[in-house]
Amino acid sequence: MNQFLRSLSPTQQVAALFLIVFGLLFIVSTAVFFLSFKERRNPVHDESWQAELAHFRALLGTTWFMVIVFWIGWALGETVATVLFALIAFFALREFITLSPTRRGDHRSLILAFFVVLPIQFWLVATARFDLFTVFIPVYVFLAIPVASALANDPSHFLERNAKLQWGIMVCVYGMSHVPALLLLTFPGYEGKSAFLVFFLVFVVQTSVLVQHLISRRMQRTPFAPNVSRSFNWTSWGVGIVVASLVGALFSFITPFKFGQALAVSIIACVAGSMGHLVMKALKRDRGIPNWGQKGVGVTGANGLLDRVDALCFAAPIFFHSIRWYFNV
Amino acid sequence: MLAKLTGWLLLGIVRLLTGAQARWYGCPPKAEQRIYFANHQSHADLVMIWAALPEELRSITRPIAARDYWANTPVKRWITTEVFNAVYVERAATGAAPVAPPPEAPPQAPPPAASNAPAERIEPSMEPLLPIETVSHAPVAEGPQEIQGQLDLPAPPPPPPPVAPPPVIEPEAPAAAPEPPAADPLAPLIDALRSGDSIIIFPEGTRGHTGEPQKFKSGLYALATMFPDVVLVPAWIDNVQRVMPKGEIVPVPILCSVTFGAPIRVEDGEERRPFLDRARAAVIALRDV
Repeated sequence: MNQFLRSLSPTQQVAALFLIVFGLLFIVSTAVFFLSFKERRNPVHDESWQAELAHFRALLGTTWFMVIVFWIGWALGETVATVLFALIAFFALREFITLSPTRRGDHRSLILAFFVVLPIQFWLVATARFDLFTVFIPVYVFLAIPVASALANDPSHFLERNAKLQWGIMVCVYGMSHVPALLLLTFPGYEGKSAFLVFFLVFVVQTSVLVQHLISRRMQRTPFAPNVSRSFNWTSWGVGIVVASLVGALFSFITPFKFGQALAVSIIACVAGSMGHLVMKALKRDRGIPNWGQKGVGVTGANGLLDRVDALCFAAPIFFHSIRWYFNV
Repeated sequence: MLAKLTGWLLLGIVRLLTGAQARWYGCPPKAEQRIYFANHQSHADLVMIWAALPEELRSITRPIAARDYWANTPVKRWITTEVFNAVYVERAATGAAPVAPPPEAPPQAPPPAASNAPAERIEPSMEPLLPIETVSHAPVAEGPQEIQGQLDLPAPPPPPPPVAPPPVIEPEAPAAAPEPPAADPLAPLIDALRSGDSIIIFPEGTRGHTGEPQKFKSGLYALATMFPDVVLVPAWIDNVQRVMPKGEIVPVPILCSVTFGAPIRVEDGEERRPFLDRARAAVIALRDV
């Protein structure tokens, strides 16, 4: 089996990976579809069971959506993949700005963020100008946005408004732009397989968030920071990190890393992702909303797009820069 | 053909920028003759509500467009007539047009004039007589009312029961003098309704700044009494003023929604002002659904 996989060309290997993922998703979806026909006998128990099933189906739907997005991105090449991630960043930033109060004076800054910063950042990614791409937002944009706001002649809540906008750009544009940037990293002897790196990152981070979510639902521990998140506690967090990192290490054969290296980068990505998820929860709590979708109904159906990608937005830059620094690529 | 293509393109842009989500609470999207009345905060309101309606309703629903804004260039005029299928009104007239034919007036009767000078000025002058509730109830701790997109504001208090205006300045009195119907700003709307179309109107007349709708002009009451069979559907358009504030030309992507509420109707013998206040309350109530 292993011999067979090794004999395939990189493209065929990636295709085989997608085939396996789609196959697994198909089996799980079919099982859930038939489970939904189960009769209700015990009203109390079945009610909660049904609710859990509905929740799981929503999660499954998002997984399908993300996998299909990645598949399209991979099938159509790196440029299309970058455009795709730019669109995701656009929608995520749209959700973020919608739920953060802005004033009339912010209009020009918002135009700058959406129609200048976002395209330039992803253009820098697509053309692999890694030095400029790393500093473009933290240096140039973060100094330009307050200038645009100051020129709008509205001093009230100035720092607060600018911080919100900068934070939105940081998370949604800067963080997200590091995912397609992984496609352009060139490891020696790993040409044409960088799609695996993206898959590896997304898979590991989503696994850690999912495991953490499931464990905290099962165990009902006292939350560590109840004002921010009713579910976050160190036990389920630790279990999530360990499980996802081990899974990541087991998948080290699809990456250019050795077992130990894969374990280390997985831990880094999972810690960054789960902590980022917590940070975005604090922001949501501050706005008094359960999720980033629009009053309960969001772009992806279940809830907001940003709820799904926030962990990724935090994990991607740290993952990217740590492997770039360590492997010197 | 070109109009259809432009329509699709425009729809795509509006959906990309705002989501243009329609939320039907209180009534389903149904092909009956309706008057949708909504709050007015931006010129883009018209585009928003047009984009939020389903395809089948869009073709039989005609938005009302202010002629001075939407028909001042050939391109805008072409888009409003060919794509939106809009009805033009003179804003200078409708803005302050308290046209109020007596409730029992049959549709055929020539409606009283709008350009009745005293009637026009009297309505705004009644404002100070009413308690100004919008500002004083704003929670101070939340910062200035001007912050857009507030979510956790407590529900605004319902508008107070209307203070009975002193009979001297009741605009019905001068409106009794019949004038040629050409001067009636409601005439194009009446024509549209008579031909069986649904219409979208903004009874505030002008765009507000504060987020709280202004008092409704009486055109809605006039239309409601002239066409008692047409269903009156309130609608709240959310967030559009953030997409394109007054004076800006480039829109910013921010999610918007249009919430449609339960239909209301003029009760037997209901007066003009109580009805208009009730209609305004119905629109405001949709903000927090």
